[in-house]
Amino acid sequence: MIPNKLPWGRWAVRGAALTYLIFLLIIPLLVIFRDGLREGLAGLWHQITLPIAWHALLLTLWTAAVMTLINTVMGAITAYVLVRYDFPAKALINSVVDVPLAIPTLVTGVMLVILFGPQQVLGAWLKEVFGISIIFAPPGIVLALLFITFPFVVRVVQPVLQNMDRTQEDAAVTLGAGAWTIFRRITLPPLILPLTSGALLSFARAIGEFGSVVIVAGNIPFYSQTAAVYLLGEVESENRLGASAVSIVMIAIAFGLMMLVDWLQRRDRRVYK
Amino acid sequence: MSIVLEKLTKRYDEHPVVNNVSLEIKDGEFFVLLGSSGSGKTTILSLIAGLVPADQGRILLHGRDVTWLPPQQRNVGFVFQNYALFQYMTVTDNVEFGLSIRKVPAIKRRQRRDELLELVGLAGLGNRMPWQLSGGQQQRVALARALAYQPDVLLLDEPLGALDAKIRIELRRNLKSIQRKLGVATIFVTHDQEEAFDLADRIGVMSYGRLLEVGTPEELYQQPQTEFVASFLGTANLMVGRLTSQGVNLGKWHFPKPKDIQEIGTERRVQVLFRPEDVALAPDAADLDCPNLGQADVEAVSFAGAYERLRLRLPPIPGVRPISPVVAFGSDFFLIDATRSPEQASRFPLHPGEKAWVGVHRIHALAHPGLNFLILTDGSPRSEAAISLGGQIGRLAHARVTLLGCGQTTEQLDAHLEEARKQLGSGLAAIETLLISEPAVHAVAQAVEKRPYDMIIMGFGYQEDLQLAEQILEAGEHNLLLVPQPQPTPSKALICVAIGEPGKDDVLFAGRLVSHLSAEATLLSVLPSSVHDQNMNSRIERFLEGGVRSLSLLGVPAKTVVRSGLTSEEIYTAVRENGYDLVVLGAPLSKPGRRISLGGVVSQTLEKITTCSVLIVRSHYYRG
Repeated sequence: MIPNKLPWGRWAVRGAALTYLIFLLIIPLLVIFRDGLREGLAGLWHQITLPIAWHALLLTLWTAAVMTLINTVMGAITAYVLVRYDFPAKALINSVVDVPLAIPTLVTGVMLVILFGPQQVLGAWLKEVFGISIIFAPPGIVLALLFITFPFVVRVVQPVLQNMDRTQEDAAVTLGAGAWTIFRRITLPPLILPLTSGALLSFARAIGEFGSVVIVAGNIPFYSQTAAVYLLGEVESENRLGASAVSIVMIAIAFGLMMLVDWLQRRDRRVYK
Repeated sequence: MSIVLEKLTKRYDEHPVVNNVSLEIKDGEFFVLLGSSGSGKTTILSLIAGLVPADQGRILLHGRDVTWLPPQQRNVGFVFQNYALFQYMTVTDNVEFGLSIRKVPAIKRRQRRDELLELVGLAGLGNRMPWQLSGGQQQRVALARALAYQPDVLLLDEPLGALDAKIRIELRRNLKSIQRKLGVATIFVTHDQEEAFDLADRIGVMSYGRLLEVGTPEELYQQPQTEFVASFLGTANLMVGRLTSQGVNLGKWHFPKPKDIQEIGTERRVQVLFRPEDVALAPDAADLDCPNLGQADVEAVSFAGAYERLRLRLPPIPGVRPISPVVAFGSDFFLIDATRSPEQASRFPLHPGEKAWVGVHRIHALAHPGLNFLILTDGSPRSEAAISLGGQIGRLAHARVTLLGCGQTTEQLDAHLEEARKQLGSGLAAIETLLISEPAVHAVAQAVEKRPYDMIIMGFGYQEDLQLAEQILEAGEHNLLLVPQPQPTPSKALICVAIGEPGKDDVLFAGRLVSHLSAEATLLSVLPSSVHDQNMNSRIERFLEGGVRSLSLLGVPAKTVVRSGLTSEEIYTAVRENGYDLVVLGAPLSKPGRRISLGGVVSQTLEKITTCSVLIVRSHYYRG
């Protein structure tokens, strides 16, 4: 009967947590929705479909999509190598994976400019030989996004690989399966859901990225201006409606993706039991 | 022959987990590999399946040498301990996996899969996912999957280990009948001897990577050849006695010659085995129709369903050392296990505390391996001392002595070993020489891998040899006798013990050795001078007195001394004052295969004691 003795304490904890959540997350979200819908859905739609805003949104989405594709494949390979193979300085490399989470994204941008900037050796060489510009161009955005989202896929896939029952692979070997068949039919299936949620997480993280992108891509409308950077411009020019409208789109995408990830992870646990 | 293993060896970190195993398994035979965990039985299956490569030896399946073939080409069926079903495939896809790899057409695949699911009793469950099945059902899917492509041999790694007792017995029957029906040669690995007896055409018993014995269940149970098998299979009453031309003597008790011994040759020490069901109990010696071992106290009686199980205490029998059941440290009586039918029990009911005469209907005598000594020599003066003392102790302990020459060129060692052999010559039960012209550490590691030794004897100088002593201890499970200078056979041993479990092992091995030397023993424990705790003192005294009782069971007269001060100082003082000529120390504890450091007390003592030999005893504490 002990639980009934302290009903006040339990309600107080719940109340505190919920109040905190409401003030910190829900009210700001509600305010921005109200703000964006001040002139109705038509006004919102008008703001979003302004060519400059529309281009910024599309650029954000396609660079994030390209990054996600690359990150998923390379993240899976990195996780595989980190779990399955031994090599010198493995522990060190393993902790380096998390570095992008810790350093300011502005610093990321500066690093990339130093490496790929048009006046730098590598940047100049790429420009001369292949005619590719990295900095102040969409490829720079993809690179910056790749850097900052690197840990997401690795860290989601790694524990699954670690806990994987290796005897299933042994069993497949005794049954006659070759390396590729084993990977395709035994190792990969349990990785698909974690890979998907890792990919969605990095995508969601990427569409809101500002710091590194503003340094790497600059702010060239219709060319390298992403939604987040566009947003800053709108705020600075006191177009609150425009800023809120684009914000709402970004929030909606991020929220949708988070719901999807959550659903996938719950589904995954059901299969594992 | 379906499976032939020839001198198969597999090492992990230099340590052989499968050691020189040879085995032949006939077509259609159900062979069970039995051993405790870590004995290497699962590794043998992995070697046959090709999941791990062999270091030495050959594997033949139906006459085809597969030693270097990849696992995919060996065509073995393997059932894993945890079943290892493919979690993301249905039962059907699991069973058909091997067939789809072999590109069998879908129609045939389906047909074969249905046959197999029917055979293992899972027809109709093909669309389930593995996690929707019970443990027993998963196990049967694993079996069907392994049999689908008609493998040449079937390997089963403790497949029933994770199941409830009831399901296990049912599946055991199923498995046996399926194996009979298909006639596929099978190796079944288990640590459960009941399972082994129930299933096996023949059993192979493994311990520490060695295949000790192979035989039918009856042979291994009734006529084991080794101590390990005798006590591992079923319950054993096992003790060391003497075989003479008249029969077998256990101290003053006499038994007629067992039927399975044809020739006696010379009188010798043997291990005497009788099973609980061979024991007869009666209120009086005259009521027994078989030779008896004296009157015993009933220690415990328990009901085991079909029979009654008793444990009895016999007074010590001079000259007889009990091996099994293991007598607890500090006891000076024998333990005997007996079973009786309900009918026998009702005729002479017994309760704990009552007395009964113990008769034995049937005994089996097996060779007593005795002690194995290895004497290390490189021809130096220090080695001379080791050879001379090792020879004397070896003679008294009836030990088999191996002289290992190392650390010199072959020619030098050859001459040296010849001379040493002559010097040791007569009176030794068995002597052989081994020449490994390599540094001592490597030579010992090679020798120990071929055959384990109870004790390694080496000359010792503190400055030069401390590190070598550590490395030699690391090479195996042996005890180590360090001989700093020539000395006569020890007659007064100082056994230094720390209170606790490991100390018990120290006392027991030292006691066994000292009893052969007919020496007397003193048990010494040293308390730090800072401790003035009456409680601690009385605990130490109780422990030492237990040691004295255990030694008396081995026939060693012993007394106890407790001193206080710095351990190595006190040991040194005790040796100087009382003229001990053998000091026994416990080796620092370490898990098997780990590094051993002789720092602390052992090294301080070794530095001080330069006049008499020091025996460093290993504890089996970590072996469980």
